[in-house]
Amino acid sequence: MNEIQSNLDILVIGAGITGIESSLMLSKSDRKVHLIEKTSYTGGMAIKFEEVFANMECSTCMVAPLQQELLQNKNINLLTLAEVEDVEGCFGNFTVKIHKKARYVDMKNCIGCNACFEPCPVHLKNEFEECLSERKAIYTPFAGALPNAPMIDTKHCLRFNGKDCRACQEACMFEAIDFNQKDEHIQLTIGAIIVATGYTPFDCREIPQYGYGKINNVFTAFEFERLYASNGPTDGKILLKNGKIPKSAAIIHCVGRDNKGYCSSVCCMYSLKFNHYLTSKIPGIKISEFYTDLCIPGKSHQKFYEKIKKMGTMLIRASDIEITEQGEEIAIKYIDVGGKKNSITVDMVILTSAIVPKDDAEKLAKILGITIDEYGFFKEQNQNASSVVTSKPGVFIVGCSQGPKNIQESISQAGAAVGKILSTH
Amino acid sequence: MNRKIGVYICECGPNIAEKIDIDKVIEAVTSLNDIVTVERYKLLCSEAGKNYLTEQIKKHSLTHLVVAACSPRDHQLTFMEVCENAKINPYLFQLANIREQCAWVTDNKEEATKKAIRLTKAAIARVRCHSPLEKKEIESNPDILIIGGGIAGIEASLQLAHSNRKIYLVEKNSFLGGLIKNFEKKYPEMQPCSASILQKIETIKKISNIKIFTDSEVQEILGFFGNFEVKVKNKKEKDIESFNVGAVVFATGSSLFDINKNPQYGYGKFDNVLTSLEFEQMNLSKKIVLKNNKTPKSVAIIYCVGRTDKGYCSEICCMYSIKFVRYLKDNIPDIKIVNFYSDLCIPGKSHQKFYEQTQGENIDFIRAENIDITKKGEQLNISYDDETNRKKNCIVDMVILSPALEPSVDAAKLAEFTGVPLGDGDFFAEEHEKLNPVSTSTQGVFIAGCAQGPKSISDTIIQAEAVTGKILSSLIPGKKIEPEVKVSQISESFCIGCKTCLDICSYGAITFDEMNKISVVNEVICRGCGNCVAACPSGAITLKHFTFNQIYEELKEAVQ
Repeated sequence: MNEIQSNLDILVIGAGITGIESSLMLSKSDRKVHLIEKTSYTGGMAIKFEEVFANMECSTCMVAPLQQELLQNKNINLLTLAEVEDVEGCFGNFTVKIHKKARYVDMKNCIGCNACFEPCPVHLKNEFEECLSERKAIYTPFAGALPNAPMIDTKHCLRFNGKDCRACQEACMFEAIDFNQKDEHIQLTIGAIIVATGYTPFDCREIPQYGYGKINNVFTAFEFERLYASNGPTDGKILLKNGKIPKSAAIIHCVGRDNKGYCSSVCCMYSLKFNHYLTSKIPGIKISEFYTDLCIPGKSHQKFYEKIKKMGTMLIRASDIEITEQGEEIAIKYIDVGGKKNSITVDMVILTSAIVPKDDAEKLAKILGITIDEYGFFKEQNQNASSVVTSKPGVFIVGCSQGPKNIQESISQAGAAVGKILSTH
Repeated sequence: MNRKIGVYICECGPNIAEKIDIDKVIEAVTSLNDIVTVERYKLLCSEAGKNYLTEQIKKHSLTHLVVAACSPRDHQLTFMEVCENAKINPYLFQLANIREQCAWVTDNKEEATKKAIRLTKAAIARVRCHSPLEKKEIESNPDILIIGGGIAGIEASLQLAHSNRKIYLVEKNSFLGGLIKNFEKKYPEMQPCSASILQKIETIKKISNIKIFTDSEVQEILGFFGNFEVKVKNKKEKDIESFNVGAVVFATGSSLFDINKNPQYGYGKFDNVLTSLEFEQMNLSKKIVLKNNKTPKSVAIIYCVGRTDKGYCSEICCMYSIKFVRYLKDNIPDIKIVNFYSDLCIPGKSHQKFYEQTQGENIDFIRAENIDITKKGEQLNISYDDETNRKKNCIVDMVILSPALEPSVDAAKLAEFTGVPLGDGDFFAEEHEKLNPVSTSTQGVFIAGCAQGPKSISDTIIQAEAVTGKILSSLIPGKKIEPEVKVSQISESFCIGCKTCLDICSYGAITFDEMNKISVVNEVICRGCGNCVAACPSGAITLKHFTFNQIYEELKEAVQ
């Protein structure tokens, strides 16, 4: 019998909540974990939420202890601003090439005091805040980002565009700004890979009749999350574009469902959560929810729905929705269950977008030697067996990169992938 | 004890130095009792800072350390580690947060300095009352008890046995396989289900480190994570076997909602009204027929049976009802099928496609309410309200009811004698809705599959594997378990035996000593939440490191 020495270290791709959970679990069994993250921060999408259904628990309070544990864990090597370039080998012996972009901030010296932001002369839209606020060319995307160290956006930084600006470096008391940092190409040898790259929300512009991008006060779900967030662009005030408080709002479910051909499983619940957001900040606000089928599976979700229903929300089962501007207000035309045309006007519209795969999922699948399914999510080997197993031994897929799901299900998959690795490798 | 307290104030670069008059803080605390030295340093969390602290502890032979710096969330562990390396007990340390709570919350330097002085004095007052706490290590047993021989229990057993764990698998029935043994196929890929579980049962029987108990019930589980004592009773032979394990998995599954509670569906009264499980069995036997042995020409499937009674959506009924349409069409191609549903719940990437591909000639989907079934000759009459609240009816040969899932009866029994709480819908309560779906508030007791809540076969497999991950990463052969250090203590002389603490403890860490009529804390199970301390009417309970005295002395300085 041939036996080859297998490498026990693990590569986890994506430092959202699923990737963090996988890494922490593996580290507890004394595995060395390399956790690579494309952005400059950990926490993924979950840290964009102020609260999570159905217990309305503060999301940051839920995720931050895990992030902190991650940063202090000696078995976990966190590489931010990093992407996989190449994978070779097989289960037990993979060689992985990582491209780690320079942050231009020395993480050892930086204490995260943010003194470098203020003097930076470049003003840009903050993508983390769905472009509802500004950032500088040196920035952390939001207060409380972990690791708490800024990065330089070289595309816009004056110094990287031919000007001799040193404003941030001069402001730093810790000599943490290092313009000479270089991108690194790191080679790792590992035994198995967990892919936890998450999802993006459906682009609402693909449905022109919803008016997103054309009509003021038509917001996406993530824009609305940030409006409600206490560390967000309005410090948690739900405001219309003119600064006024809305008196009425409509929440449109299933945005992108028809385009994508699947139910994203979480939108009904998070729409109901938005009801909670609206009524807690704006007592007396009139809310209408436009839905097709309520999908609230599981033992705890209907209870939440019934609580929301008692708050006086209008639940309208509708089809053929069309949103137009009507003066300062927004008109929503729809066809009701009886087939009759109907309409209402509101101050604000929230579009609850479907969960779709990341733009680069296909590219990553090629690098990893796994396949994607007809929807663009990573494909499990066999729907009859474990959903975290791919056609390539040693490469496991977890969380929304495998398909739309809620946090609980993502965390279960993280545990399942770890179980698979620890029991077979 | 002769205390020698060292106080170190971190400048945190300009963060603290510019916002707080550190010299004033030094001046305010230097002359306090037991203070040997008070120093400022530019950045204590840096490598140089840590080395500096280590040298200082040795140089002054310090017994206690106070650092005034940032939030404990940032560097509590950093400085506790410094203490450990410098050979002082890490619990003889206190961190005063003068950055987040002083420097960063005001521009008023004078006020910030005043508050920083108070917090530093409070930390000094507190650390004086600290006692050294020692880490404990206990041996653990790597074996595992799995209760329930359905798909969740089988998957968990197979995977754990793969890592050479000894498994005790206890099943109350005379056979393994649970409910899904009755399912010919599994949605959405329509792969064989019953056949595949039978194969797994054959595999599991051959694995020597899985000991299977059929016709058996767990009677007792005592102890704690790493060290549980279990008694299993064989119901037929009446004998009891005892053994020890380190972790327990509840995989007790689900049963169907009792349709007799909804008499409007005519179940049990009329022929040819079946439950989904009865229909699965009929399909598996390859004989879809009416009571009179004739082939049905029309069938109605009623979704959401019992949903209103249970107060939750069982997640899988829409999908398996759609699967029934496939079964029926495969066996009786020209049969007419009417689906009566309320909301179609088909979450996930491949389910909508399955639904769309199940539509076609003679297949109707009707959104309906107030369904009532009566007999009409040999047939069944279904009256209902349609979407626009109009009364309608429809006549069919056969009705299949898709009832809600509810926890199996064993769940309540297990919950009672183990103290693991039940949650929504009387399913076992997970430790945290999002972050710990397969753990319970009792450390070392895990839940998988429908014991935790209604779910599909794939989600059940995932949870069984997640439990494996949890167990393999926390219960490791040869590795000792380190229980919480900051635990509750009950004073024998103050306890009046009122048992208030027994009810309040979520972890089952407190038991009652009937002999001496007092409550006793099991320090291995206690997680140090402090609830019992607050609840005890006679002040008999203290929490180590959060004693009355420590908190009182700290507060006295902080609020005076």
